[in-house]
Amino acid sequence: MVQAVPRSLGSYGPVLQEIEQALLSTQCNLSTIGDAIQKDPDLTARLLRLANSPFFGFANRLSTVAEAVSLLGIQQIQDMIVASSVLEQFKGVPDHFVNKDSFWRHSLAVGITARLLAMERHLPKPDKFFVAGLLHDVGRLVLLAQAAESAQAVFELYQRERMLLRDAEKKILGYDHQQIAAELLQSWSYPPVLVQAVAFHHSPAQSVAKLEAAVVHIADHLVSAMGIGSSGEQFIPPLDERAWNVLGLSPEALPKIIEAVDEQILAVEEAFLKNENRPRP
Amino acid sequence: MIVARDVKNIDGMLLVPSGCELSERQIDILQAWGVAELEVEAGGEMAQAHDPLAQLPPETLARVTAELRGRYWKPDEFGPVPAEIFKLLLLRQARRILRPPL
Repeated sequence: MVQAVPRSLGSYGPVLQEIEQALLSTQCNLSTIGDAIQKDPDLTARLLRLANSPFFGFANRLSTVAEAVSLLGIQQIQDMIVASSVLEQFKGVPDHFVNKDSFWRHSLAVGITARLLAMERHLPKPDKFFVAGLLHDVGRLVLLAQAAESAQAVFELYQRERMLLRDAEKKILGYDHQQIAAELLQSWSYPPVLVQAVAFHHSPAQSVAKLEAAVVHIADHLVSAMGIGSSGEQFIPPLDERAWNVLGLSPEALPKIIEAVDEQILAVEEAFLKNENRPRP
Repeated sequence: MIVARDVKNIDGMLLVPSGCELSERQIDILQAWGVAELEVEAGGEMAQAHDPLAQLPPETLARVTAELRGRYWKPDEFGPVPAEIFKLLLLRQARRILRPPL
């Protein structure tokens, strides 16, 4: 179906592989993980910036990777590396139709919001929702990277007819960015529940993981309405009220969440999108 | 909201004096300290003075409302939750406009 999915994106890079190997090893300890991360200075800087940001809200400053690993936990560290690596993978995608900075700003904000919603609802492993939110529109980047002519036809139709971008995708391609992302994430052996969350973020009622899909769906609506970045869509996607009911939060939680998103986005953007260690041109 | 009467803890220690404006976060902190209820100023000119939407010139309020509404897909089909989000984002935008420049 989706021939556009690039198989070359099947690995997250050597550091993650090394961490995975360390986790499988019988002699694994936190310093082994820390050592693996420190081989990549850029990743080290990103992790420390993130660990010291309001995203985690630790009272004391973390100055070493070992401290970050022990306080954040290996699972969170893996999630952050995955997120960071995915950003790297799509660096070369042209800016013709979607501004990439704006795209990642939107994606990071959806990740932050999904995590905050999950935390507010006391769902287990809220950081998984950050990754699901971060990657929810990655299918659109795959389309731009691998099928530029189809992407052009999609964007022309969408601008001409003033329709939702995903409806234009379906009309031209027969499928949309949700299915492309689902196939990519499956090829990465991404957990099935979160593949479902990404695959049905516009129609969470159709997902077998309704709660997870509802979290990403609501986060996408909220961030689009807040106007934080854009993944190319000109309209705020409609909110399915059934998703809100599935999530089971009171609307009284919304002001606190909106305030926290505004507070966290700048710090997280700084951690993920800035490259202090790279030589400047 | 504006506190109408001093807020004290169980030992009588003053936590927030009357006349002080509280943010959502400060209210959360007070709840964490065990403050179950507090008296706030109601209605009138004082309330209007602290309502960001009431402080915007009518033409500015009309413009930001139209701009936000124009970004929605089928805004006439709003349910209660998108309507609540719309109201909160209008307030957010009004606060941004009213915020003094740094």
